Amino acid sequence: MAALRWHDSQNRDTLETKVHIPDGFLSTPVWAALDMAGAPAVAVIARRAQRTFDEGKVPLLGVMGAFVFAAQMINFPVGPGTSGHLVGGALLAYTLGPAAASVVLTAIVAIQALVFQDGGILALGANVLNMAVLGVLAGYLPYHFWGRTRARRAAIFAGGALSVLISAVMALSELLLSGVRMPGGVLGISVGLFAVSALAEGAITLAVIGALERIQPEFIRQPAAGRSYALGAVAIAAVLLVTGGVLLTSTSPDGIEKLGQARTLLSTPFSGYGIAGLGSGWLPKAGAGLLGLGLVYGVCLMIGRRR
Amino acid sequence: MHHVVLDQWSRRASPLHRRDPRSKIIPLLIFLVVLATAHRLLPAISAGLFAMLCTALLWARVPLADVLARACLVLPFTLVFAGVSWIAGDPARAEALVMKSYLSALAVLLVVSTTPMPLLLRGIELLGAPRFLLMVTQFLYRYLFVISEEAQHMRKAAVSRGGSFRAAAGALAVLFARSYKQAGEIHNAMLARGFQGRFRPLSAPHFHAADAAFLVCASSAPVILRIALERFV
Repeated sequence: MAALRWHDSQNRDTLETKVHIPDGFLSTPVWAALDMAGAPAVAVIARRAQRTFDEGKVPLLGVMGAFVFAAQMINFPVGPGTSGHLVGGALLAYTLGPAAASVVLTAIVAIQALVFQDGGILALGANVLNMAVLGVLAGYLPYHFWGRTRARRAAIFAGGALSVLISAVMALSELLLSGVRMPGGVLGISVGLFAVSALAEGAITLAVIGALERIQPEFIRQPAAGRSYALGAVAIAAVLLVTGGVLLTSTSPDGIEKLGQARTLLSTPFSGYGIAGLGSGWLPKAGAGLLGLGLVYGVCLMIGRRR
Repeated sequence: MHHVVLDQWSRRASPLHRRDPRSKIIPLLIFLVVLATAHRLLPAISAGLFAMLCTALLWARVPLADVLARACLVLPFTLVFAGVSWIAGDPARAEALVMKSYLSALAVLLVVSTTPMPLLLRGIELLGAPRFLLMVTQFLYRYLFVISEEAQHMRKAAVSRGGSFRAAAGALAVLFARSYKQAGEIHNAMLARGFQGRFRPLSAPHFHAADAAFLVCASSAPVILRIALERFV
């Protein structure tokens, strides 16, 4: 793997945002938990893709995977003396649908681990979740909501950027959670580089989709009509908030508690993960958790009604 | 392309090459877990596991030096993080990162260089991974070379048009369209040959007694090594 690697090819620096974690980096709880989450996720997605894609289309998915691999050879100038290349999660989601795109990216991650020693085997769960599941879903999200509206081009751009950003930040969080040391400066620089390559991916995805629409518009899948702007905005805000939160908590595992202590800024009746009136023990903690879930559920219901 | 070498190694003949893919995948996983969970005496355990892998590579008659060099592919990334850990005052972690990532890559290489990729993927499928996913992976591996060659042409086309952002996007869109068309042709050719939605390998893997014996020995070796070292050192 190379989280971020600048190297020379044709007298240019190439900005690579590969987030394939090798074995030996993640602590046992992290890789074991992610493998346990990744296996059923992949099984469900494979079944869903199989339902929408009859088996005769399997060659198409395999060849599209080979396409994403090969697309790395074509360099896009993204700044003075710097070039980037397509990562492809969002592009595949717009052309094959999110489930099939996830399957293709899972296959890519597996081949990279086996054949190119890029990413580990025990870390496969982590890498598949980062790139093939969360990356693809986050990349498809803006298109799903805004793909039919006037903001279509912005949605395509945002999807490409989001897919790379989410995969990179998740990988970074998993490394930090495993105890890999990263001083503040290094962390800041990596997040900055990730942001730049996320913007590059958005621009590349938008340009390739535009060119494809001119050659053969039927390649691009149209999302169903009639989805609201507001719901899309809430969904994307939620994704960003969760990702940012995961990164924050993994840099300092006590972050949430610190947040709870900053009462001048934020004061809730749930500080310390318990309801103040119920004393201490497992009951108030569970109660606070359930109440929190209920609140989130209520907010979702209210947003759902307004449509 | 460098993975052609891997394909050639995997088609050589040795007792290790002849084993059923399942009897190599399970010990690989056990090896990786033993290595990943080791903390105490890590240098000694790593040395033991390294010796074990080298013995197996010699037994498999693949060029040892080349495989050892190829496993270094993980090092550029690892060394960056190891360097940061070292500077941050955690030299033990820096050493652990290098040893664990290198040995894990070497173990994967041992399996991949003694098992042809289609057979390895078939083994993973037989161990319960989704068939649809594995079929996609089989096609991906098979057409990697074809599409990569196509991409070389498109790269040349983009560079000749000035290498601008637009030119690169156009080249990629054409590569996409060509790959799509190629997939359709492949599918038609397969239908013409009686493809019914699943691969039928000419020789289905059979799990023999020798495979079972190898599975038991290869799985227990790293476990015994670690227990012995932790108990007696």
